[in-house]
Amino acid sequence: MKTKLLTILAIGMIAMTSCSKYPPSSGRLTEDLAVYTKYDVTANFSDYKTFKVVPYVSYINGKDSTTLTDANAMALLNEVSKNMVSRGYTAVTGATKADLGLNVTAIKNTTTTVYSPGWYWGYPGYYPPSWWGYPGYGYGYPYYPTYISSYSTGTVLIDLVDLKKPVGNTVMVRWNAYIRGLLTGSHSQADVLKCVDQAFIQTPALVTTQK
Amino acid sequence: MKKIILFLAVFMLITGMVQSQEKPASLGFRPSSYYTFSWNTTFTMGDFNKWVGNASPAGFDLGGRYFINHGLVAGFNLGWQRVSQSYGYQTYHGTDGTAITATNYRFTWMVPFQGVIAYHLMSDKMVSPYLGLGIGGDYMEHHLLVQEYDLYATRWDFSLTPEIGALLKFGFFSQWGALVAFNYKWTTNQIEGLDHTSKNLQMCNLKIGLSYIIR
Repeated sequence: MKTKLLTILAIGMIAMTSCSKYPPSSGRLTEDLAVYTKYDVTANFSDYKTFKVVPYVSYINGKDSTTLTDANAMALLNEVSKNMVSRGYTAVTGATKADLGLNVTAIKNTTTTVYSPGWYWGYPGYYPPSWWGYPGYGYGYPYYPTYISSYSTGTVLIDLVDLKKPVGNTVMVRWNAYIRGLLTGSHSQADVLKCVDQAFIQTPALVTTQK
Repeated sequence: MKKIILFLAVFMLITGMVQSQEKPASLGFRPSSYYTFSWNTTFTMGDFNKWVGNASPAGFDLGGRYFINHGLVAGFNLGWQRVSQSYGYQTYHGTDGTAITATNYRFTWMVPFQGVIAYHLMSDKMVSPYLGLGIGGDYMEHHLLVQEYDLYATRWDFSLTPEIGALLKFGFFSQWGALVAFNYKWTTNQIEGLDHTSKNLQMCNLKIGLSYIIR
């Protein structure tokens, strides 16, 4: 009897302790795309009227960086432009100075995990583009930026910088967004573009009125 | 897990049949105690149902009952339960200009522990229904998963659980039987600060299991 009793108690205890606290289906959460945004709450986005988008997507894979101009990259840039126009901003090209600059970066994988002011997103050796006419300028954050501890899941970053009021050799980031999960699940270009739209939707403060 | 339960069920059925064949026929026996191992399905109620609306079969319960006098028993229950639900894409806005849109998943993990008193009708029969009351507490963890972020709160509580059920012996002289029970549970536990507020979490539980009966 004692053996049977111990058996049922032992099986019961094993069954209970072997059960995971986290539901098995919760593991697939990281396969879904997620959109994180943060903006400078002290900024008045109505002070800005024009914008430029860097005409390529910066691409970072580990310690290597390059630029992308393929159809997927262009679709991403066009979606960013489209959203800016819908918020009342005017796109400018050529040598015309813009109030705001947008830079889109795709990150495949990196082990660099810590944001360090002065380095773009914590990647030593990688500088933001100077395409909009501020060569050598770095990014500055008037707020603690939204960032994640690792970029191993496939990430698209969008930075909106203030070209109207540079501070010293720094252009201040007024809004940033990142879309993550591109490599952990199966996602179409349309899914990613929807996330770009969502980044703007969840930032209603990013709007201006033309006079 | 299924294999363990299946093995346990077959083992107990065989053991029960062998033992019942060894004993002379009579009207059965009055147990001195019994132990139960049950599969527990949880149905959240009230505000708790707005946190997680799904019924959840993820739960187990281990119990012991000791006959004090005739049909009156005292004992304990230890358990493990989890309720969970995915809510798809949702957006959260922070006060510092932050916003996150991601798949939202909620779950509560519970470890109940209770002292139990119950009264068995016809405790020497093959089917012995009972009425019981569990008094004790729970350790609960309430989790809000927003993609990679896990926001959670832990709480201890006091709980009351009235229960009706029945012990069903596999034979007049079998020491193995089944347990079927249904209870309502009221707790002082609450959920706060996870984009949801619920107080005095309530639930119903359906328990189906096996019991080992001691003469």
